[in-house]
Amino acid sequence: MSTWSSPAATAVENRLFRALAVLRVIVLVNAIGLNVYRAGNFDHPVAGAGCIAVMVLWTGYAIWAYAEPRRRTVVLLTADLAVALALLLATPLVKGDAFRATVPGFWIVGALLAWSIHYRMIGGLAAGTLFAVVDLTLREHIRQSDYNNAFLLVISGSIVGFMCGSLQRMATERDAAERAAAMASERARLARVVHDGVLQVLALVQRRGGELGGELAELGRLAGEQERELRRLIRAEDVAEVGEVGEENVDLVSELGRLERSGTITVSAPAFPVELPAAVAHEIVAAAGACLDNVRHHVGDDARAWVLLQAYPDRVELSVRDDGPGIPAGRLEEAVAQGRLGVSESIRGRIAALGGTAALVTGSFGTEWEIVVPRSAQDLGAAS
Amino acid sequence: MSDQADPVRVMVVDDHPMWRDAVERDLAQAGYDVVAVAATGREALVRFAATRPQVVVLDLQIPAPDGVQVTTEIVRLEPEVRVLVLSASGEQGDVLAAVTAGATGYLVKSASRAELLAAVRRVADGDAVFTPGLAGLVLGEFQRRSEAPPDDRAGSALTDRETEVLRMVAKGMSYRQIAERLVLSHRTVQNHVQNTLRKLQMHNRVELTRYAIEHGLDAE
Repeated sequence: MSTWSSPAATAVENRLFRALAVLRVIVLVNAIGLNVYRAGNFDHPVAGAGCIAVMVLWTGYAIWAYAEPRRRTVVLLTADLAVALALLLATPLVKGDAFRATVPGFWIVGALLAWSIHYRMIGGLAAGTLFAVVDLTLREHIRQSDYNNAFLLVISGSIVGFMCGSLQRMATERDAAERAAAMASERARLARVVHDGVLQVLALVQRRGGELGGELAELGRLAGEQERELRRLIRAEDVAEVGEVGEENVDLVSELGRLERSGTITVSAPAFPVELPAAVAHEIVAAAGACLDNVRHHVGDDARAWVLLQAYPDRVELSVRDDGPGIPAGRLEEAVAQGRLGVSESIRGRIAALGGTAALVTGSFGTEWEIVVPRSAQDLGAAS
Repeated sequence: MSDQADPVRVMVVDDHPMWRDAVERDLAQAGYDVVAVAATGREALVRFAATRPQVVVLDLQIPAPDGVQVTTEIVRLEPEVRVLVLSASGEQGDVLAAVTAGATGYLVKSASRAELLAAVRRVADGDAVFTPGLAGLVLGEFQRRSEAPPDDRAGSALTDRETEVLRMVAKGMSYRQIAERLVLSHRTVQNHVQNTLRKLQMHNRVELTRYAIEHGLDAE
């Protein structure tokens, strides 16, 4: 039953009881007015006046008592119901058996709705049925309008009870959702603080390790790899959070970040996400990876290489350059003749399948792959 | 440009004590005069005003005001100051913002001691420390601006030659290699690179001025 005792549910109940307080005054004024107007129908006017005095006093007390959540006890709700029932039962005594209107009249909805609000549909149904049964049994003749009034009591008690329950559930759920959102953003903030600290330490280990050499250099290299991987994850998460990348699109910048290697491979890219369909981005990254493998193979394991991504509205351009001696003239033709151009052909093939071009430029400045892939209109969200 | 007799005065700003100490020690050993250290943006501004260092080695991720705001403020106080951004955050947008605000160099924290000292020396000499990563960011920024509606563009687009040089820097070529390939002098290549940075920062000043005019801050 935690739904009904949550702060949000209590807030809903408080609000409804404040509205009920106003309603109680309205039905009281209405009941007094009707009874004064039909004062001639009373067999015992003094007792009738006493009944009205009870209604006035109880209304005042009930408004005060229901204002505070901790006073809304079973005793209060039972007393509320008992006073209303007592006034109903007193009607034949003060007005005679052939009465048409009861003394409290619609004033009893105060107690009825209190049950609906506090005990929801079951409470409203129970109180409504009780009032309806008592009202009908008191009468000598049950007319159509009496039955209608009784039926209305049962229905309205249940409906208001049901609606009150729904409101409380919705408020509780909204509260829980808000709390979850607040917790998530606090977690994200803490994660940022922790990540920043971890990044600093990893970078420091990498730097000092490189200076000290030996086994520590290896440790530093590993720390550097972890630093980059964590950075890439944070970046990917930030992009996902902002929702800049559509469902089937990925950010090519953070995907290319995976290729970076401390001291050897540098990846340069714009500061904004470059959104491409996942399949296209993965092919481009795979092609770049193949270029880098080629560099390692031909120039050496610790060869330096640079990857540059440039994004235009209609295309992306990727360059993979190494600082090696370049490919001597005639060497490529020779390789073609010997059927050994497998890697180059696979890079060209991948890019051609995306509708782009891949060209190899070589010279004293090293060897450079220039890859151009067109972007279709729907990928342009982030760049424009 | 620094006098032999007068060591370059440096301030180190970083909220991680380990880092601050490491960088301070490296700089002191290399003969720099570390006149102040600071752990927060507030400390940095106060100590900058008190000690007036020539070079500020600045981490971007510091308690408020952040590194970008600190850069903006100290460049406003002292336009001749050189700011070298040293960041482990990998927040590319922040790096670009700091450089636009007036920083003239950017180095990742994983850079070696030798790289750090070389970068501080170059920044102190008034050169831009243009790593390939920073060149990629600046290229991307000018590309982004060129796609903006004409009204929002500042009048400082890159020339074709500047773009070409910047692209080569981003591809990891040294100034010497670029000079050789384009048949230019080393100094000309360096000027082209400086110009791209100046244009990036001028754009920032143009925007600041426009903001000031629009908001009536230039009254009197």
